[in-house]
Amino acid sequence: MNYLRELREYSHLIVSFARRDIRARYKQTALGIAWAILQPFSLMVVFTLVFSRLAQIPSDGVPYPIFVYSSLIFWTYFATSVSQGTVAMTANATLVRKIYFPRETLLVAVFLAAGLDLLIAFSILLLLFIYFQYALTWTVLWVLPLLLTQLLFTSAVICLTSAIHVYFRDIGHALQLGLQLWFYATPVAYPVSVVSQKLKPLYFLNPMASIIDGYRRSLLHGDVPDFEVVGAWLLIAFILAGVAYIVFKKAEATFADVI
Amino acid sequence: MDDIAITFNFVSKKYGLKRGWSFANIGNEIRRLGQQLVLRDTAPREYFWALKDVSFEIRRGETVGLIGANGAGKSTLLKILSRITSPSSGRFEVKGRLGALIEVGAGFHPELTGRENVYLNGAIMGMRKDEIDSKFNRIIDFSEIGQFLDTPTKHYSSGMEVRLGFAVAAHVDPDVLLVDEVLAVGDAAFQAKCLNKLAELKSQDRTIVLVSHNLANIVQHCDRVLWIDHGTLRASGDPDDVVEEYLRTVSTLPMAIHKGKSALNGGKKESSRIISVCIKNARGETTDLVEYGAETTIEIEYCSDDSELDPVVCVTFQDVQGYNLGGLTSRFGGLKLEARGTSGTARLILSPVLFTRGVYSVSVSLLDSQLQKFLDVFPAACYLVVEGPSAATGQISGHVIFPHRWEIVDGCSLSSAHTCNRVLIETM
Repeated sequence: MNYLRELREYSHLIVSFARRDIRARYKQTALGIAWAILQPFSLMVVFTLVFSRLAQIPSDGVPYPIFVYSSLIFWTYFATSVSQGTVAMTANATLVRKIYFPRETLLVAVFLAAGLDLLIAFSILLLLFIYFQYALTWTVLWVLPLLLTQLLFTSAVICLTSAIHVYFRDIGHALQLGLQLWFYATPVAYPVSVVSQKLKPLYFLNPMASIIDGYRRSLLHGDVPDFEVVGAWLLIAFILAGVAYIVFKKAEATFADVI
Repeated sequence: MDDIAITFNFVSKKYGLKRGWSFANIGNEIRRLGQQLVLRDTAPREYFWALKDVSFEIRRGETVGLIGANGAGKSTLLKILSRITSPSSGRFEVKGRLGALIEVGAGFHPELTGRENVYLNGAIMGMRKDEIDSKFNRIIDFSEIGQFLDTPTKHYSSGMEVRLGFAVAAHVDPDVLLVDEVLAVGDAAFQAKCLNKLAELKSQDRTIVLVSHNLANIVQHCDRVLWIDHGTLRASGDPDDVVEEYLRTVSTLPMAIHKGKSALNGGKKESSRIISVCIKNARGETTDLVEYGAETTIEIEYCSDDSELDPVVCVTFQDVQGYNLGGLTSRFGGLKLEARGTSGTARLILSPVLFTRGVYSVSVSLLDSQLQKFLDVFPAACYLVVEGPSAATGQISGHVIFPHRWEIVDGCSLSSAHTCNRVLIETM
């Protein structure tokens, strides 16, 4: 609890870090913030060509572009947060070595900076809905608890990976590979319906599988995700995030000696 | 007690000397871990104690200087104090907001403008946005960056960057301020500004911990001095007394006569080298204590290779920080060494010594006749401990007192002094 109180005192620093990350990312680029739209949009086009046209992957009766885009933006949010969060300490090594501030501010800033991209990408999704004349229902509100679950789960991951990265840079390499495998183990480019019944219990041990499937159901199918499943994952993610945060704070004390 | 700002209670900090887990020595580490689990009592990894059982208290409003040789543990102490790292054992407490003038500008992002970086750096140092807003103009005035405010800092000169960093740090208004060697940045005018800022904070009853190699600065500004030596607190007390004691230890560490350990040739007999260096006072006694204004001789025993025609002896003086204060060569003095055969003793007579009170290291080197190649170097061959007027009084400054006198000339107004100046420049 003391940790959280201190973190709140540094809320201005979090915003400053996030602003720095966003500004620095688009400084000296001609297109600037447009990249936040261009990137997921072009990915959607590529995925549509490869998975839908070439590989004939079904999309549960939804136009494939919306089908993939709606889950892709949330996956990108996860992947960006994890890969940037993992290196957050080492990328700011000079700061960590010289000045005290709660180190997790750097992690929260990653969420905010990547969150801006998500927001922009999400607004494009709404335009896609209009283009494909697709109706939203009230179930879209389910996105919020799902997003909270995703955030908690991502926090748990990057609290651990960023702390480990200070000691072992190996994890940076391993993670890029891991994220790619993880992508294929998550129903982003394909629907859950293509996963065989036998594999499903194992398949849904991946929290991102349940979360991404939940987004798709509530956004595209006007469906309500399994309340128990979402609730269980929320609880698990909450506990994991809490434990990981404490581990992070314990490790934090010697970051400056090792980094 | 209520007015204690900083408490250190048996604080220790150790660092592991070897990196533990890596692919190369994973076997060793697993064995060590196994032994620890089974035997519970094995030789631990090798450690280096940067600090060992350091205890002290600093009262609110006190200005305390921290002195000690390089690697004595001053930086580790500051790091613990500023919470960058935590001690291995012991407790410490700091009351109130802490600000650090360590590594100013560390938080700058090169792509951001000066203005954006002021807000970022201010936030890193714990200021709120409205607080930075209200101090913004003062910070910019202090930094003197003027028109470059909206230029990305990657285009700044290093001087501008340091000034801006210091300006932000100086306006944090902490209850406890840590200052580490920053008084050495910037030009003379900016340094004066920094010292004024320090005096201002001091008058506002802030607690200041000052680390500096410049002992004169320490004595001048501090109420008390802590001397850190090999990770322990060696002395604490009146600045004059502690600095005095410190200087004596530094100077007695090496013997008064120094046998040359050739740094270049590994002591091979046949090569040109410096054999020994010593300091003699006016009475011809070997010593390292000399008086300002007295005659002092530095004797350098050397031998030179036959093939080396006309070698040159060079003596340079450094302050405790290692800055070169001036060097002299036998060539400049018009002395020819070759005439004396392959070995001999060269004497450099300082008449008189013009250094202010303090310790100066004397480095000796032997060069070829072209002054291009070092035949031998003997860094910090001996120390010159000078007694005399001290810069800590503020009446003089720096390390050298020039031969001089003052005069007052009647009827020279400020404006005519100006024209004098201008004439001088034009004639140059």
